[in-house]
Amino acid sequence: MMETLAALFTPQLVEATVRLAAPVILAAMAAVVCERSGVTNIAMEGIMLVGAFFAALVAWYTGSPWLGLVGGAAAGALYSLFFAWAAISLHFNHVVAGAIMNILAFGLTRYLMMVAYGRQGTSNAVARTLHDYKTAIPVLSDIPFIGKAFFDQTPIVYLALLSVVAWAWIFKRTRLGLSIEASGEYPMALETMGRSVVKTRYTAVVLGGVMCGLAGAFLSIENSNSFTEGMTDGRGFIALAANIAGGWRPVGVFLASLFFGFVDALQLRAQGLGVIDLPSELFLVFPYVATIAAVAGLVKRSRPPAAVGKDFSVEGGGD
Amino acid sequence: MKRILAIALAACLVAVSCSKPAEKPAEKAKEPPLVAMTTDANGLGDGSFNDGVWAGLQKAEADGLAKAKVLESHAMTDYVPNLSGLAEDGAKLVFGVGFLMVEQIQEAAKAHPETFYAGIDHTYFMDSIPANLIGVSYKEQEAGYLAGIVAGQMTKEFAKNSPKLNDKNVIGAVLGMDIPPVERYLAGYIAGAKSVNPGVDVRYIVAGSFGDRAKGKEATIALIDQGADIVLQIAGLTGMGVIDAARERGIFAIGADVDQNAAAPEFVLTSALKGTTSSAYVTIKELAAGTLKGGVNRVFGLAEGSIDLAPFHQHDAIVPQSVKDAVAKAKAGIVDGSVKVPSALADLGIKK
Repeated sequence: MMETLAALFTPQLVEATVRLAAPVILAAMAAVVCERSGVTNIAMEGIMLVGAFFAALVAWYTGSPWLGLVGGAAAGALYSLFFAWAAISLHFNHVVAGAIMNILAFGLTRYLMMVAYGRQGTSNAVARTLHDYKTAIPVLSDIPFIGKAFFDQTPIVYLALLSVVAWAWIFKRTRLGLSIEASGEYPMALETMGRSVVKTRYTAVVLGGVMCGLAGAFLSIENSNSFTEGMTDGRGFIALAANIAGGWRPVGVFLASLFFGFVDALQLRAQGLGVIDLPSELFLVFPYVATIAAVAGLVKRSRPPAAVGKDFSVEGGGD
Repeated sequence: MKRILAIALAACLVAVSCSKPAEKPAEKAKEPPLVAMTTDANGLGDGSFNDGVWAGLQKAEADGLAKAKVLESHAMTDYVPNLSGLAEDGAKLVFGVGFLMVEQIQEAAKAHPETFYAGIDHTYFMDSIPANLIGVSYKEQEAGYLAGIVAGQMTKEFAKNSPKLNDKNVIGAVLGMDIPPVERYLAGYIAGAKSVNPGVDVRYIVAGSFGDRAKGKEATIALIDQGADIVLQIAGLTGMGVIDAARERGIFAIGADVDQNAAAPEFVLTSALKGTTSSAYVTIKELAAGTLKGGVNRVFGLAEGSIDLAPFHQHDAIVPQSVKDAVAKAKAGIVDGSVKVPSALADLGIKK
């Protein structure tokens, strides 16, 4: 038993955890920012998918994965601008608008596959991927057990880790953070202070779109070398769960995302080793059971922003 | 204004519905029958069995046997409307592709007794199969067996032939979901590998999805970390991740269903081929000849030309003649019945 545990709990397990968690961290951070601003965003899945497609397209067309990264982030921003317009300016129900964005993303990328490559399924491979730019940070990457997992990584994984620090700082120390907070808790107060709730929410949604676009780019041009239809495969929804489990706070959400990545990495590796004599279906529900457990256990101690999902207009007195 | 529009619209509808039957009988006599298919949620472009069946339909159309039509499903909820809608469009034979529509196609077949339905990857219970439904399944275990022979020999005996191979005697497989066709592939793979290398350690991981490339990659890396140097993908688009991992970590992947060498020529050793094209074509041919029978399960294998092993392409030089001979011998044995390939893990004494 000790032997199999030793074979399971290796530094490679931590590396797999971080790789599996990276896109979820970015998308979950997007959820945090949107929800703290008062916009319920369930469209991360779709925004990510659009980002993944355009990252692969730009990287393939230009030959540069860095331009691909920019293209993915820009596509994510533009696509969520559309969502922001529907949810904030047109006063659509946020959940309905988000669901539409998810469905549209699936059809749109499928259609654009035909336009760009003349076929469906998998796009053309890019010449270079961001994985080619894997860099170790000296000293830090020598930390035993977890050093390589966190500090010998590929560009978007670093960006994901950086986004956690950045958002924790923005919420604690900056005017933007305070505005977003107020916009989600008591939008009328923000408006009374002379700052626009609409502008704040647009900013939050578009910044979230950039992060979802990066998460998509991770999947297509960093972790793989081309776009595959539907390659996000539910990660946007796991991010939604991570947002709740992490209590709408950057560091908590980061830990929740890591936890989901860990559970997934663990079950895959346990299957390979054949450690536990159980049907494979049980392994597959493990991450989801963990999600339910986490949400049920943790959510009691935190609460969502007061005005999240509520439509805002000055004329309507803030409701 | 509204009323005029409504009347005009109604008039148009009447005109359209009246004009149709008048032309139809004359047309029908000379035109080949409409044969249609609906894909599973992966759609066309899966480079696998959806594309394969569609190629069979197109071939039949080119030969003047049928008029081909395809409806793509984007979600499992599309299966019922697509399967029924095609019969209502006048299709004489409707292919439903993919194991996951096994229930829906039986319902559609019962609702449209005039139309033949063929379920690709399906085997039905003989006591409840509708008379117009044909279950088409494959002996994936035979393709897995051939791939297993190659993997089993290369990973040990000929590991020195390539720097991608190690001396740990471990090979792997990544499964999309644990469903019968996938299990058949795996059972054959394990049996084939053990037949040439009894001590080989075959490890496998179920990813839980046919569309999650990143998870396919992670599963493969897990197998590589545990010593595997050849990994068979049996996971649809998730399998693209197996090839990603092979490329990144410098091991060999084995493709499935179609020749996947082009996805990463340097890292795809061979592919286990399962051709849905010939089975679709044969079925349409029988429909055109009027000999098609429903209410049966049909199994296509190596002997029927639906199963094979892809060429080694640029790896031809590192695969010794003895491996190729072993594959040829197994093929002959499978066709003449002297080699029996297990189709379930239980046959190998493996508990799921």
